[in-house]
Amino acid sequence: MTPKKWGLSTSVDAAPGRSPRQAIPFLLPALLVLAALVLYPLVFSLIRSFFDATGDEFVGVRNYVDTFTDPRTLTAFRNNVIWVVVAPAAVTGLGLIFAVLTERIRWATAFRLVLFMPMAISLFASGIIFRLVYEEAPNQGVVNAVLVGVHDMFSPSSQYPGARPREGYTATEAGFAANKPVRAGDTVMLPLIGFNPQQVPAQALPASTPQAGDGELRGLVWLDVSAGGDAGKVDVIERGLPGIAVEAVRDGQVVARTTTGDDGRFTFPDLAVGEVTVRLPRSNFELPFRGQTWLGPGLITPVIISSWIWIMTGFAITFIAAGLSAIPRDALEAARVDGATEWQVFRRVTIPLLSPVLLVVFVTLVINVLKIFELVFVIAPGSVQSEANVLALQMWQVSFGTGGDQGAGSALAVILFLLVAPAMLFNIRRFRRERS
Amino acid sequence: MTLVAEEVRIDVPVSGAPRRGVVSRVFGRLGNGFVQVLLALVAVFWLVPVFGLLIASLRDESANTASGWWTVFTKPAELTLANYAELVANHAVWQSFLNTFYIAVPATILVVVMASLASYALSWIEFPGRETLTVVVVGLLVMPIQVALIPVAKLFGAFGLFGTITGVVLFHVAFGLPFAIFLLRNFFAGIPRDLIEAARMDGATEWVIFKRVVLPVAKPAIASLTIFQFLWVWNDMLVALVFADQDSAPITVALRAQLRQFGTNIDLLATGAFLSMIVPLAVFLLFQKYFVQGVLAGSTK
Amino acid sequence: MRKQWIALLALATSGLAACTGGAGGTSATENLTGQTVEVVGPWTGDEQKNFEKVLQEFKTRTGAEVKYTPAGDELPTVLQTRISGGTPPNVALIAQPGLVAQFAKAGAVKPVNADVEKAVTDHNAAVWKQFASVDGKLYGFTFKTANKSAFWYSEKAFQQVGATPPATWDDLIKTSKAISETGLAAVSVGGADGWTLTDWFENVYLRTAGPENYDKLAKHEIPWTDPTVRKALEELAKLWGDPTLIAGGALQTEFPKSVINVFGEQSSAAMVFEADFVASVITTNTKAKVGQDAKFFPFPSVAGSKDAVVAGGDMAVQFKDDKATTELMKFLASPDSGKIWAELGGFLSPNKDIPESSYPDDVTQDLAKRIVDAGDNVRFDMSDLAPAAFGGTKGAGEWKDLQDFLADPKNVDPIMQRLEANAAKAYGK
Repeated sequence: MTPKKWGLSTSVDAAPGRSPRQAIPFLLPALLVLAALVLYPLVFSLIRSFFDATGDEFVGVRNYVDTFTDPRTLTAFRNNVIWVVVAPAAVTGLGLIFAVLTERIRWATAFRLVLFMPMAISLFASGIIFRLVYEEAPNQGVVNAVLVGVHDMFSPSSQYPGARPREGYTATEAGFAANKPVRAGDTVMLPLIGFNPQQVPAQALPASTPQAGDGELRGLVWLDVSAGGDAGKVDVIERGLPGIAVEAVRDGQVVARTTTGDDGRFTFPDLAVGEVTVRLPRSNFELPFRGQTWLGPGLITPVIISSWIWIMTGFAITFIAAGLSAIPRDALEAARVDGATEWQVFRRVTIPLLSPVLLVVFVTLVINVLKIFELVFVIAPGSVQSEANVLALQMWQVSFGTGGDQGAGSALAVILFLLVAPAMLFNIRRFRRERS
Repeated sequence: MTLVAEEVRIDVPVSGAPRRGVVSRVFGRLGNGFVQVLLALVAVFWLVPVFGLLIASLRDESANTASGWWTVFTKPAELTLANYAELVANHAVWQSFLNTFYIAVPATILVVVMASLASYALSWIEFPGRETLTVVVVGLLVMPIQVALIPVAKLFGAFGLFGTITGVVLFHVAFGLPFAIFLLRNFFAGIPRDLIEAARMDGATEWVIFKRVVLPVAKPAIASLTIFQFLWVWNDMLVALVFADQDSAPITVALRAQLRQFGTNIDLLATGAFLSMIVPLAVFLLFQKYFVQGVLAGSTK
Repeated sequence: MRKQWIALLALATSGLAACTGGAGGTSATENLTGQTVEVVGPWTGDEQKNFEKVLQEFKTRTGAEVKYTPAGDELPTVLQTRISGGTPPNVALIAQPGLVAQFAKAGAVKPVNADVEKAVTDHNAAVWKQFASVDGKLYGFTFKTANKSAFWYSEKAFQQVGATPPATWDDLIKTSKAISETGLAAVSVGGADGWTLTDWFENVYLRTAGPENYDKLAKHEIPWTDPTVRKALEELAKLWGDPTLIAGGALQTEFPKSVINVFGEQSSAAMVFEADFVASVITTNTKAKVGQDAKFFPFPSVAGSKDAVVAGGDMAVQFKDDKATTELMKFLASPDSGKIWAELGGFLSPNKDIPESSYPDDVTQDLAKRIVDAGDNVRFDMSDLAPAAFGGTKGAGEWKDLQDFLADPKNVDPIMQRLEANAAKAYGK
């Protein structure tokens, strides 16, 4: 290469690369923009964080004290720690694995495109997607739909979910047990409620009180629900409930079992002398399995992290693939020729060569994680937002909620900044060491 | 990214050599089938939510709220293009589509150019305070956008940039630079010193070294950066909502104006997401060939 | 150079014209051709289209261009940044009186002029003026309101048990129990959204404690540990505390979902409590017809209380006081503007001079009439009056505390203490 006239106006120095002046034209455009639009706001925030909400009164470190004494901040800190520990490592790891593996398939571009797709969807829309993916109702949320489908394949749901005796029965582990004991010759009237009359099986017959039988315990289980009907009485249009299991219990032991007929009647023909308690086993009324409450307080942070992983893996894979393609094939081949297994090549050659790019990706992800707030805001229902809280979200709410306290918000921003500084310093140090 | 091949020491036990032939090859072949299946599964896993979104964009709101997207397999009659027809017929959406280009293209080019220049200086030109400057610049990466809204608003108000595309572009450039510099500086710093020194010996100016040596080597990094910078600007809503006016509003803001007050709005969001996804995907396909291209192959051979 | 002079001259004369116009009185047809008024509001989608029709009428009358910016949920952010940037809009519609007060104290919003004030006084009950006043000065008026004292019910579910709309809280509980016998939950509560829960509380509190206590609690002049608060929470617990009455998963149910739970294809509840805008959710998200399948009854009387309405609303305020801005404010305060939107549907106004017949259907007419008839017994949504940290932040303050109460309605005392602690902190600032 020969020096030509296309150098910038700076004179060609005797020792190229040693002149500070030559750096100026390279740096100036970026530095100007950064100073005006990023550094100035940062300094502004730093100063602003010592003033109150109106910005008129100097309050010293009060905003910082308030922030650290707010219990929400502690939750946010805890969640941020979980995020930082889990999410960037997971995404970098997945990105690395996928990037390496895609080198072995022909449809690598298609695969990368698929994983890149979530990045092309706005965070807001992605949030809505995952809000729906994890929706609790199995007719809306795909995860619960799959769970319920699998569950129902193995254990079908009960016939009368949610139904319960009107009164006189106590819910126990085993089912609804009568409060009063009965004996052979009695008639048990068992009005059930909490079930839609329209869902009663078609074969059900109108309910009528059974006659007392000598030596037999007889009874009726019917749905005591009708417009204008009397509670506890068998009204004309009310029907018996077929197929309900009934147990007779004596001293805690089940002594007889039976099932109601189409008219809702049941009979225990040969009960020995003495009192028994009638019990309707729980299995009659078991509520259908509805899946998991993913968006509840317990699982909300893992759920949001999973959606972030879905979004960001495309980012990691793109950069790591770029890094991989930069690795000289010779180095890999040399190792292979030396008899290294693929795993050894990966461990001893690929990873060390890739470590700079892995670090860039990792640090970027850490910072991205600390700044995350839209996903939390959109995915977490309001009732668990405090459980899912992160610092950036809190800052957004504090500074721009309708209360608009820029002072306290700025304090949070400064804290956030101080949190990330170590990561930056680490990265810079590493570079200095490497180059010296 | 370090490209220094000669520094890598390969400490592979020699005893591994004889085993390699058969075992490794068989394992490799079996492994390849396994890899295919595994990656296919991963791809499906990633596609399911996108597919759900696609179906949601093809059903109306009441169908979407009544049942999950998978019910279309039994009720394909529910599918409709009405959501797309409505958006495409909307003039404001088209105008905003153009605005998005006016914002995203300059914001991307400016970031890539400015960051390449600055990164070169920060990695290969020595000047006092270079380390400190690097730390400060890259440290700005953590600055959350929200923090800057008010101060930048004051600044833009004073310079009459409020409600202009220029203002929105400048904001995106400023907040794209720290990441861009962080990325490119790391990449540039990994370029073998010999390459640079050789050029200096030849008497090349910094500008020539930058253009002839550094840029070609850094193509993959620059391509990746371009994609993501474009993507971030393309999908931004907050900055545009605050700093753009109605006439310069990008697609995200225009789509947002279509939303109903209540409900998930999944039909509108999904349709909008697919419409606005086309461009970033095209950009990805356009640039991806650059970052899978061998780097050293492009520079030294 | 010459052009600039001409422009200056034109400016001077137009300013002069504006001055004489102002002195001349309140003729409805000011000529404002060539001027542009910018409005920022929360409305998007259909609401935006309807509001733009209102603005179109203003343009037809005055010749002024009107630009509307839909800011949605980010409205506070947009306004705060634009004010700091020195380029506020002419007029904004703000749903939070607390934000209006904050802007008023900072001097960003301007007090309305005498004409607008007169229009507000003439067309609204006196209580509405208080909502928009800060330190005795009137800063605006409620342009669009929400009647937050309505229970929406499924006609089918009521028929199944032969129920009629309950007039008292005890009747409501009784009806609820009857409905739950059919296996349907009585009420679907949108507990994932804190604001629905504050609306529940406010309606009960306004009825059990009365308007005076309501005002005091809204200003935090009585603590949340007051016996009146306990009474209201205990009444609420009668309903919320019975798991057979409330549809499951209430804390994961967002407001639109709570409506769909009642009127959607697979209904899981018979009633949902919320404002008039429930009707629009029903229309867009379900096949049910408002007025036939979906009806409403006013929030029932608790312990013999009189009719009262909790209302929300968007207040029109002005950031500039030039002629065009004032004219727009005058127009928005007049019945003419509200009538346009009223006819398009999805709109209620506190303006008593909008003829009832302007509202498109029986249900809307009834909802509007109840607001106007309640007169000075209307109270503004208390949580909107409170500092946002207490009454308007997801996952914090009153929203979170009432969600905790919904999760465990027996727990009255700890909840009251938490409410008081959070309120003290938020109001203390």
